[in-house]
Amino acid sequence: MKLGNIQWRIAALKNGFQDATAYRLEFLFEVLGAAFVPAAIQWVLWYALFKVGGATQIAGMTYEDMVAYTLVSILFTQVRGGDHDFELAEMIRGGGLSNYLLRPVGVVEFVYIRGVAPKIFIAGFCLVLGIAAMLLSKIFPSVAAATPNLTPLNLIYGMALAFFGNIIHYQVGATLATASFYWEEAYSLMMVKNMIVQLLSGELIPLNLFPESMQWIWKSTPFYLYVFGPTQIALGRWSTEEIWMQFGIAGLWMIGGWVLIRASWGLGIRRYLSLGG
Amino acid sequence: MSTIIEVKDIRRAFRSPKKEEGMKGTMKLLFKPEFSEHEALKGVNFKIEQGSFVGLIGANGAGKTTLLKILSGLIPPTSGSARVLGIDPFDRPMNFRHQISLVMGQKAQLWWDLPAVDAFDLLKAIYEIPEKTYRERLNTLTELLDVTKHLNTQIRRLSLGERMKMELIGALLHWPKVIFLDEPTIGLDVLAAAKLREFLRVFNQREKVTIILTSHNMDDIERLCSRVLILRNGEMIFDGQPSKLIQQGACRLRVRLKEEIPAAKLSQWTGLAESAIEIAEPEADDEGDAGDIKTIYFETKQEAVVTVLQALMKNCSIIDMGVEEPSLESVIQRIYSDPKA
Repeated sequence: MKLGNIQWRIAALKNGFQDATAYRLEFLFEVLGAAFVPAAIQWVLWYALFKVGGATQIAGMTYEDMVAYTLVSILFTQVRGGDHDFELAEMIRGGGLSNYLLRPVGVVEFVYIRGVAPKIFIAGFCLVLGIAAMLLSKIFPSVAAATPNLTPLNLIYGMALAFFGNIIHYQVGATLATASFYWEEAYSLMMVKNMIVQLLSGELIPLNLFPESMQWIWKSTPFYLYVFGPTQIALGRWSTEEIWMQFGIAGLWMIGGWVLIRASWGLGIRRYLSLGG
Repeated sequence: MSTIIEVKDIRRAFRSPKKEEGMKGTMKLLFKPEFSEHEALKGVNFKIEQGSFVGLIGANGAGKTTLLKILSGLIPPTSGSARVLGIDPFDRPMNFRHQISLVMGQKAQLWWDLPAVDAFDLLKAIYEIPEKTYRERLNTLTELLDVTKHLNTQIRRLSLGERMKMELIGALLHWPKVIFLDEPTIGLDVLAAAKLREFLRVFNQREKVTIILTSHNMDDIERLCSRVLILRNGEMIFDGQPSKLIQQGACRLRVRLKEEIPAAKLSQWTGLAESAIEIAEPEADDEGDAGDIKTIYFETKQEAVVTVLQALMKNCSIIDMGVEEPSLESVIQRIYSDPKA
């Protein structure tokens, strides 16, 4: 790769971070707010089932297992994709894409790099936070007992897989965004995708709660690589072989995503209207 | 000089859904949509030499912006071909993108929430401009456009004029060989527009860049462009020097009459169409006294002035008269409104 190519990518990252942090409070709410609501919902649910309802295990998981999953999954939910695929769809619809098409950069990649910049910061922040919380939690024996394999290295592996997930999430979104070339408005389609992702990424519930006969549903999508997979890795619930296999699967999804983007954008761009102006 | 832009029989049609009025129309659009096709460009041909400053004008919907979008490579033509710098613009190869720029006056291209200097920094990396060259260009451009002190202000907090100047700097930092400017002076005050014009004139002459400018402001065209292309309903109806347009146009006969005569009567006497006769309200003098004698303007050919005057003198008394060279604006106005012009 040419030096100039690396330079624009670094500059785009810097620029994206500057843009995301232009409003400090907004950024803070984005970092702290988004993942805590699903986590709170999960905690209320587990409390009701285990403490009020009297359940001792669900799908082989105890109350402590559930809480550990909920807390660790917050870290990866923060890194799950942003909304820059929505930005792409809106740019196609409203003509904003014209600003990027004439620049000597790949528009899909450029938008991703600018959009992912704050996520890299958040990932680093979550990692430090996660490791600190993990070390502190070892003080409490019940928590330590529920998370025997939660180690800094597992957290780092988990975060790496979450980042692969972030890329795949954008690839799926960027492919769906090309519907805007045909229908003009693809907002609802992307919203449906996000709702499916919420359910099948493991952000709302651990995916092993799915009945055995329905496990194929989440296994046949890449969405579990966003939150469920990284959380399993961080909690040490996957073997080393399983971890490498999942990284391999993520790699294949990324190659597939790249092919899909190339094809859908190559076809769609001929229908671009460059409205406005 | 070599040809830098070549357009051959370019056509472009757009298809859009047609919605009838009211709830019935809404339901029809939902279940049985109908589409209409509009031809924005109908076989346009021209060539532009390197270093030219060309004005592209036409009424709203004439096809100017569509043509610029095709030339810059944003959209493909439905048929016909375009070559810019020897390249099919819609291929948009990287070396093409390095050499062109498009500024749309009605569309922000810089990032709204960031100060201009951050956006320029990114553009420096995108266009691989060496640091020293970047500094020199940025200094030159910001000084020429008088915006140095606004470099660190968020784009959205700038005035329209300042923002437009920043957009222009962002579009020129990589020193493009071809610049497409779509209404760059829109919304600017007289001073800002004049500065921008002067800057464009100097930039075109100094750097020998090719500029195509669309504008509804005839001052822009008159002062900057050595050649004008006029589009009407997607067709090219004029291609030449602005001065030729004026010579070819009508002259303006200004007359003040003793009595007030309706336009219909004047039309009948002179044989001119009513649309060629403009009755202006009396102008106030230095003391604010407007008087009650209206000034009448007749748009006519130079050789017909005497005939018109004779017709008027035969039927009424003239207080004073004069012949004015028509402004480019009035000629263009007539061309836009008269399908036979």
